[in-house]
Amino acid sequence: MSYILSFFNFIQGLGATVMMPIIICIFGIILGTEKGKSLRAGLTVGVGFIGLNLVIGALGSNLGPAVQQMVTRFGLHLSVIDVGWPAAAAIAFASTVGMVIIPVCLLVNIVMLLTNTTQTIDVDIWDYWHFAFTGALVAIVTGSQTLGLVAAVLNMVIIMVIGDYTAPGVEKTLGLPGVSLPHGFSGAYAPIAIVINKIIDLIPGVNKIDINMDKIQEKFGVFGEPIIVGSVLGIIIGAVAGYDISKILQLGITMGAVLVLIPRMASLLMEGLLPISDAASEFINKHFSNRGKMYIGLDSAVGVGHPLTLSVSLILVPLTLLIAVILPGNKVLPFADLAVIPWMFVLITPVVKGNGFRALINGVVVLAFGLLIATNLSPLITTAAINAKYALPSNATQISSICDGANPLTWAIVRLNDLGTIGMVIIAVVAIGLALMNRRRILKEAAELKLAQ
Amino acid sequence: MKRILLACGSGVCTSTAARVKVEKILDANGYKGQYKVDQCKIAEVASKSGDFDFVIATTMKPDGVKCPFLNGICFLTGVGVDKVTKEILELMK
Repeated sequence: MSYILSFFNFIQGLGATVMMPIIICIFGIILGTEKGKSLRAGLTVGVGFIGLNLVIGALGSNLGPAVQQMVTRFGLHLSVIDVGWPAAAAIAFASTVGMVIIPVCLLVNIVMLLTNTTQTIDVDIWDYWHFAFTGALVAIVTGSQTLGLVAAVLNMVIIMVIGDYTAPGVEKTLGLPGVSLPHGFSGAYAPIAIVINKIIDLIPGVNKIDINMDKIQEKFGVFGEPIIVGSVLGIIIGAVAGYDISKILQLGITMGAVLVLIPRMASLLMEGLLPISDAASEFINKHFSNRGKMYIGLDSAVGVGHPLTLSVSLILVPLTLLIAVILPGNKVLPFADLAVIPWMFVLITPVVKGNGFRALINGVVVLAFGLLIATNLSPLITTAAINAKYALPSNATQISSICDGANPLTWAIVRLNDLGTIGMVIIAVVAIGLALMNRRRILKEAAELKLAQ
Repeated sequence: MKRILLACGSGVCTSTAARVKVEKILDANGYKGQYKVDQCKIAEVASKSGDFDFVIATTMKPDGVKCPFLNGICFLTGVGVDKVTKEILELMK
């Protein structure tokens, strides 16, 4: 194991922009994609990395100084910049754990299918980055890449079980039959929503409240447009930082540009991963398609379009900024990941059965705690970014993200490792316990299915 | 020239996957160079859709879409691609 990891350490030393193209190209050839296509896929990923690096550089070097001025002028302690999930994904894939995450997760999925501990064929290769992200942070805390990898695997096991358990709700509320959403970010909020929902059920009066969100989408629609959100936020931050009018406008346009360009760059990364993801899902589909009731695991983006999810997320964009300013202990300035709030709700929406009031309460709670978690994890995320040879603007700047920097499951796994071996044992017991519970349910369901036939 | 809007949650991941597959289908059916594809977030579809001939989204249909809307989740699962392919080719005529 250590030889393999030190070999990967060497390749990693080349930096993500060189390393990822090589790795993707090799994976592609192994999985039977043509050589030319594999090479092009690898290079596309490299282009995505360089592009993201440039844009994050522009974000940091423009927003960083403004944020610091804001801190000195008003004592607003929002010194940690939210660089967004595309950067978090790039950092995760560029980590040592991230390099082996695709074959490892495929293997975990196959083992879980063979042992009947999951019903999901997870073809969403891209979102393996969530597990790699947890793994990379654990590797930093423990100083061991092997433990990082173990944490990533356990994280995946937990998320796969949550994916199976929420699948009937996904089918009913989101109208996606045969689909489960084993998504490292969305999945983490399902258990929390179940608890909050139960608590609300117990409070007389409050348990009857519902808010109609129908008209929200029209009125708040503008909060869903990155070009507007970025520019307006840039202008506000510039003004609070005490810039003169020309610099305020420049910051506004630059921030609008950053929010528009980040997804463009990330989509290049995605495009490069596609041949790998296609080949992997074809392989796994071919070998595991005839095993009783099966779900295809997709990116929870397929559920983001639910009207309630979109409406609540739009309201929460300004609310999150307000919470960030007034919440004691928070240091994160929400920015690039304001666009990621809908992902939190993909599995909350089925749990609260479309109740607008409950979705909103859930949102405020998870975002407030999320900001504190993102603050808490920011030194680790900054270290991970430096390890990945990311060009961070100024040494004083720390970065974080809401996805997955504010992810409660990621946080729990990382912080349990502060306790040493016992922490990892606890995580392993939880993950394996959930897997066995799931296995019992799957076998029971299979037996009932057989009886019905 | 047909203008096609491809939407997903972020305008990044699943819409890229669907875009690559839709482009392949269109090229294979002789439409190469006769279409232009844009990607966006599902939240932007309502305001952008007026400028496009049709929308393919890998998530649910939001309110206020001003052009034909196709569900492209099949391009992720691989189930039911033929039916949507037929609908796309119909809209390209």
